[in-house]
Amino acid sequence: MTGNLYQPINSEIVDIIDESPTIKSFVVVPEKEFKFETGQFVELTLPGQGEAPFTPSSSPKDTRKMEITIMKVGRVTGLLHECKKGQKIGIRGPYGNGYPIDDFAGKEVYIVGGGVGLAPIRSLFLTLVDRIKDFKSVTCRFGARTPDDFIYKKALFGPWQQIGGVNIKLTVDKANGQWSGNVGVVTTILDRSDVDIANAVAVVCGPPIMMKFVTLKLLEFGFPPKNIYLSMEKNMSCGVGKCGHCMIGKYYVCKDGPVFTYEQIKNYPNIWD
Amino acid sequence: MEVVFTRELKPFLDAIAQQMELYVPKKSNAHYVFTRYEPSGQTQVEFSNIRACTPVKEFLFPLRELAAVFPEPFEPEQIKPFAVFGLKQCDLRSIEILDKVFLEEEFEDPFYAGRRQKMFIISSDCFEPGKSCFCNVLGGQPFARTGFDLNVSQVKDGFIIEAGSQKGNDFLQKHSALFMAMPVGALVERDKNRAETQKQLEQNNAELKLDAPVQEVVSSGYDSDVFDEEAKTCVECQACTRVCPTCHCFYLYDTRQKDYFSKMKMWDSCMRLAYAKVAGGANPRKILGDRLRHRLMHKFSYFLDRYGIDMCVGCGRCVDAESGGVDIRAVLKKLNEEFKSKDKQKAEVKK
Repeated sequence: MTGNLYQPINSEIVDIIDESPTIKSFVVVPEKEFKFETGQFVELTLPGQGEAPFTPSSSPKDTRKMEITIMKVGRVTGLLHECKKGQKIGIRGPYGNGYPIDDFAGKEVYIVGGGVGLAPIRSLFLTLVDRIKDFKSVTCRFGARTPDDFIYKKALFGPWQQIGGVNIKLTVDKANGQWSGNVGVVTTILDRSDVDIANAVAVVCGPPIMMKFVTLKLLEFGFPPKNIYLSMEKNMSCGVGKCGHCMIGKYYVCKDGPVFTYEQIKNYPNIWD
Repeated sequence: MEVVFTRELKPFLDAIAQQMELYVPKKSNAHYVFTRYEPSGQTQVEFSNIRACTPVKEFLFPLRELAAVFPEPFEPEQIKPFAVFGLKQCDLRSIEILDKVFLEEEFEDPFYAGRRQKMFIISSDCFEPGKSCFCNVLGGQPFARTGFDLNVSQVKDGFIIEAGSQKGNDFLQKHSALFMAMPVGALVERDKNRAETQKQLEQNNAELKLDAPVQEVVSSGYDSDVFDEEAKTCVECQACTRVCPTCHCFYLYDTRQKDYFSKMKMWDSCMRLAYAKVAGGANPRKILGDRLRHRLMHKFSYFLDRYGIDMCVGCGRCVDAESGGVDIRAVLKKLNEEFKSKDKQKAEVKK
């Protein structure tokens, strides 16, 4: 028998970072070197409880450990939020295609993210910043429900904004006392003149409703559907294009995605559901 | 390849059963199921007219199996060679389809691969096709030409056994004493029987003729109301996907044992409401009609795009098992009617 594709690699949670009231980042060390490309995902097993797909939020440069940012939404994620440092877990993967960053070279990269959607984006961002000269610019438009709901606050509110070639604008749905920035959903900070659309690619990741309206806005700006990259969230169980749960039309999100251009999936119904 | 003749099946099956576990068809009420063959004479030898009601996938991809154990990985059980007698051409096509999924180079399923390697396939010709059989509509036929180790055809005075693989050929050569010279006219009789069964199938399904390749007919009906209409009586029993020999959806779930954790793999069904639901609550196929559409699109269009073959063999098991009256043949027929009228409209516009 060759390798068992259902066998997780034994791993350990070595650190836990509180990001927001509902989101934590888990620093995971697999027992052997683990390589992935930015945008690919892993299947994380909480032993005896269940398995769920997540895209690492750390840079692929670190092959010894990875960070996985998880929002508490269901049973497995709820249990993960109760875990302490030292918890043994399993990791399978990496799976899927990841972001085609070589195709982004020479272009303006327009990244729109919301909520926990900033997790895959952080990995992408760190990868782009590492070779920032390869891209014309990196323009980010991020939103969260409230200032407290932003994840990676320390980097986001400070150092990331100082990086040359990077332009970041933030917005919140609801402000609190200290917030002096924009108030409104993320589409309110998107502007046709943010990037040169003829030489730009857009990357969108966030809750389905946000992805839908951002995509519509980008189309209105004149972005061709083939230049809008979407990270699709579907029910991915096996991760290897067999079990069928994650299908959007003919695509297996786990194998052909999770990153799709809007062009690929625009004709299928209910892609945002 | 060898082609031999025998008057009786029992000595032949006994010889197989001496070498490996053998499963044979056994009549159970109106249908056939597979049962373990006991050479002692306890198992009656039956030559089934059509496929069993249970799908062949059960032998390769069981309802539930252990997929992983951790922290210490488990040693998978050594699969012993086994044989199945009485598989039909539709069964062999379903194996070809499952092979595409589970033997994919990049992501081979080791459990499926292990069983597939050890399986000795003895197919047999159909006669008197069942009411639900419609393989001929989808390019199938009531007898196999490839995909078997041995194939058995019944003729008046006995059985013709043909080898289809090196393994099958070796078996026939090794047991040549069991067989006799081919009677004059036996092979001609076999061809005649086959042609007659084929004709019968065509007559049974005369009303279900597609006017274009099935992918074209089905994909052109993507927006059709047929799916919602046909799904109206579906009670979500999921029997259609359970008995389907090509449906291969499964889910993985985790359990805790005394001193280890395990990951199990179990059949699932795309007709189930929460099938595609994510933890956050989103569900792209909440509506039953959408699920039926997806199931048929997968079978007749998406799978073909990916692997070059359809994912339906026309065995009719889903028709027999259906408790809500959803008939895949009726859906195909309606889609074909809609296709024809669209085609006509196009032709008229051209004029």
